[in-house]
Amino acid sequence: MGRPSSHCVARGFDIRPSSHCVAPALASLAAAACLALLAMAASHDRAAAQSYWVYAAAESEDEVALLRYDAGGDLVVEKTITTGWLRAEIEAPHGLAMDPAGEYWYLTLGHGFPNGRLVKYATGADTVAGVADLGLFPATIAVPPHGAVALTVNANFHGDHVPSTVTIVDLETMFPIADVVTCTMPHGSRFNADGTRHYSACMMDNQLVEIDGATLDVTRRLDLIANRPATAPMEGHMAMAPPGGENCSPTWTTPHPDGRRVFVPCNKGDVILEVDLEQWRVTRRIEAPGAPYNLDLTPDGTKLLATLKGSAKLGIWDVETGELLHMIDSLMRVTHGVIVTPDGRYAIVTVEGIGGDPGTVEVIEIDSGTRVASAQIGKQAGGIALWKMEG
Amino acid sequence: MTTGSTIRSATLFAATMVLLAATAVPTAQLAAQEVVRVVVTPATITLEVGEKATVSATAYDADGNVVEVPFMYFSRDGRGRLAVDRFTGEVEAFKGGEFEVIARALGPTRVSGTMTATVAFPPIHRVEISEAGGRYYTGVTMRHKATVFDEAGDERDVPVSWSTSDASVATVDRFGVFTAHRPGEVMLEAVAEGAVGRITYLVADNPVAAMAVEASQARGRTGDVIHFTPTASDAAGSAVDDIPITFSLISDPDEIATADIPPAEVDRMGRFVAYKPGVYTVTASVPGQTAHATVEILPRHVVEEVQFVGHAPVRNVSTSDLWVWEGVDGRDYAITGTHSGYGSTYWWDVTDPANPVLTDSLIVDARTTNDVKVSEDGTICVISREGASSRRNGIVIVDCRDPRNIEVISTYDDELTGGVHNLFIHDDHVYAVNNGIRFDVINIEDPANPHRVGRFELDTPGHAIHDIWIVDGIAYTSNWGDGVAVIDVGGGDRGGSPENPVEIARFRDIGGATHAAFPYRSPTGRFYIFMGDEIGAPAFDGQEDGRTPEFMAGYIHVVDFTDPENPEEVARYEIPEAGSHNMWIEDDRLYAAFYQGGLRVLDISGQLKGNLYHQGREIAVYKAYDPDGVVANAPFTWGPQMHKGNLFFAEYFSGMWAVKLLPRRVLIP
Repeated sequence: MGRPSSHCVARGFDIRPSSHCVAPALASLAAAACLALLAMAASHDRAAAQSYWVYAAAESEDEVALLRYDAGGDLVVEKTITTGWLRAEIEAPHGLAMDPAGEYWYLTLGHGFPNGRLVKYATGADTVAGVADLGLFPATIAVPPHGAVALTVNANFHGDHVPSTVTIVDLETMFPIADVVTCTMPHGSRFNADGTRHYSACMMDNQLVEIDGATLDVTRRLDLIANRPATAPMEGHMAMAPPGGENCSPTWTTPHPDGRRVFVPCNKGDVILEVDLEQWRVTRRIEAPGAPYNLDLTPDGTKLLATLKGSAKLGIWDVETGELLHMIDSLMRVTHGVIVTPDGRYAIVTVEGIGGDPGTVEVIEIDSGTRVASAQIGKQAGGIALWKMEG
Repeated sequence: MTTGSTIRSATLFAATMVLLAATAVPTAQLAAQEVVRVVVTPATITLEVGEKATVSATAYDADGNVVEVPFMYFSRDGRGRLAVDRFTGEVEAFKGGEFEVIARALGPTRVSGTMTATVAFPPIHRVEISEAGGRYYTGVTMRHKATVFDEAGDERDVPVSWSTSDASVATVDRFGVFTAHRPGEVMLEAVAEGAVGRITYLVADNPVAAMAVEASQARGRTGDVIHFTPTASDAAGSAVDDIPITFSLISDPDEIATADIPPAEVDRMGRFVAYKPGVYTVTASVPGQTAHATVEILPRHVVEEVQFVGHAPVRNVSTSDLWVWEGVDGRDYAITGTHSGYGSTYWWDVTDPANPVLTDSLIVDARTTNDVKVSEDGTICVISREGASSRRNGIVIVDCRDPRNIEVISTYDDELTGGVHNLFIHDDHVYAVNNGIRFDVINIEDPANPHRVGRFELDTPGHAIHDIWIVDGIAYTSNWGDGVAVIDVGGGDRGGSPENPVEIARFRDIGGATHAAFPYRSPTGRFYIFMGDEIGAPAFDGQEDGRTPEFMAGYIHVVDFTDPENPEEVARYEIPEAGSHNMWIEDDRLYAAFYQGGLRVLDISGQLKGNLYHQGREIAVYKAYDPDGVVANAPFTWGPQMHKGNLFFAEYFSGMWAVKLLPRRVLIP
């Protein structure tokens, strides 16, 4: 399949030229233009019937499901793809990301020997196109709009409170070029709209870490508890919040398409932090009771969505006012991933379930805050990525 | 239908106009700025070891205009040999070779350029010869090997030329095969690109006047290791101990088949084993003297019948490990875990193994309770957890004094969050394999207050651990590519304890996929460790659960650990159609689960050598077919345990089974 002609595929804003090629001011204008473009697209597409294709990983089943949702219809599991090397071991497919051109999808396998792996699949055929070795329990994957590299956070859930890394993988050769030390138990991995900055958060030492999209090295850190810049990862028990003190345990990062802020959920603080990128400090706290976990924004940046892992809900907030618009119960417990369709119409949510519960994928209509479809997949549904929107 | 398209053309057009107006960049320029080519300069470079240079990349659009984009530099084949600074393109040569350096444009298109860095191999520094020299005898022929290193310490594959200082004393061929012809001093040289390795021999007349060889037994069975002991003596009848003796074999198997395995083998130590019944003559030779000994090999005749005893079916979820024990009430019980299910564990009364009775069950927050173990006194059961919804996993400690009314005493998950896959209980401590890299030692003297007292982790790069087994205060850990590690946790002589595990020895087998290890002290006095592989067929081929039986590969390596300082891999148990999983050894019998190959029982009596599969040592094979299993009629044997004469085993797709081995019945016409 060739590269699609449109510029807003998968989760990137594939503006050409990128801000690497134009002055910063021009990049801001480009971002603003892209917002306008997406708003128009969303408005226009609301009238049209659409099909949305997503991949969703089932972490305790070593499966990835390919699902299709036809607007107004059912959510259908089109295919189930088994993954891993050893059928007798759970290898824990966790994070999913799409190639911006839509030709490939990428999957992290958490358990290895001991390190996990990044697997590159051809979309549609769902055949393996390459494998790269990562670090201990890799989780979330971020692919910038240019699609040349992936940044995968090595969450290292194995328990040692030591600084971990983000592995940079060249996606053409699937060669792991470098491991960039960030902080302890990194989770969440997202580029900003133009791919110039990457953000990840660390669950154990409460840091937000920024990586330069060009040099792929750490540029700055933010201590989310003290709300001041940090200079290095914390180690050992320093990487844990003080007993009785404020805790955050950030699990995700979502840059706003305006390029000025990043949202970070405090999974243990029941709050979503808004970090101003110019000031490099937390400037707003949005209450989100129920252990917020993963986030996404509507393409126009007006609505913020969060899975609330502890309360099995999806929350939707107005970004500008911070007002809670909807709180939607999930069918199962332990909500995990959320993505918003490129037209801003639907949120597609994964729900892990507990024990023998099937994993669930739910489609939520954002404006009304209602669930319009759901489907069951393998156990512990987690990572999710949108392949394409048709229609 | 527009495949993969998210925005209709009309919308796209309108939006593009907005974009263009906002950025004031002409369309032609937009299109032209797409990178289509990357040139890396210089295109080639030659470096010496230790030298640095910087390569630089330039991106061009379709019109040949330079496009400013950042680059990322790397070399896939340069690992450990050519360092590449990913930011600056600086390369530094550490070892010789030819390396491709890639410059990847981090722009809207995935375009890269390459250049070639050739690092001149440093001069050869030294040549090492496999033997040390010393006394040698006329007529003796022995191969020597040379290993070549350059000045960077890199082992090099370069031509080696062999010569001797005096061809009348000794000659050598191009393979390093060295033959002495007459007494005298002679130097053997191996030359590689000007570097010379030398050893000196003092060649003496071959003193051997008589040769004898004796077999440790005149008659044996297939699989028996028979030692052929040669004796070389001089004219005075004194033994000549330092002359190399070679062994050869004349085989006369009872049945000859074409393209079959060799019927027998003898190694350079004179250790002989036969795969086929027949008559075999072993020749021990020194120049001018030979001696022969002939042995008769009979069939091993160990096959027994397997009698089905009982089945404790688990048909809604896959079954993992089992443990069978005598409870505090004198009755016999079993516990079985589950895999990829809903966190369930089952207790069974197997006092009458023909009628196992489910006595209790427990569901914990997990998907897999892979391992289940019981304390030596039968009072505490410990369950491993993976896939907990809290992602904290760890272990669950259960009071199982009354298996009809089990009670959870406590859980422990501190720094065991990656999931515990395997564990072992020994002397009031739980040794929990923390998924991935180490084992933690949890004191359960007070099971309501478990606490960590120690941990152990190998020191190799990228080390991993899968399983642990403990006998008499010695732990045997299975570490994938690092093989087996033998660790003193209180029963060894290295001062180890649960608080301070001390490694005694380590052995990496040929396969490098060590998944399980079981120690066995044979009545022969030898101490073996059976190391089982786990090698999977990647699930990337679209197998469908529920329709396609699983398949696995790998085999059991037998390592003679009698001298822990010099362990030797001496035998294997490799069956062609399946891979190994868990094991149990008792009374000279190996009970081995072989996934789709079913349950295998192997005679491991005596010394072991060669592939045991071909030696007639298989006592029994049993495949448990359950038409109502998770996958119907698909044996996938997980693990066995012998208990009071009954062989219990876990079947992944159908629960726990019990069989009994019976002497083979002989029909008398």
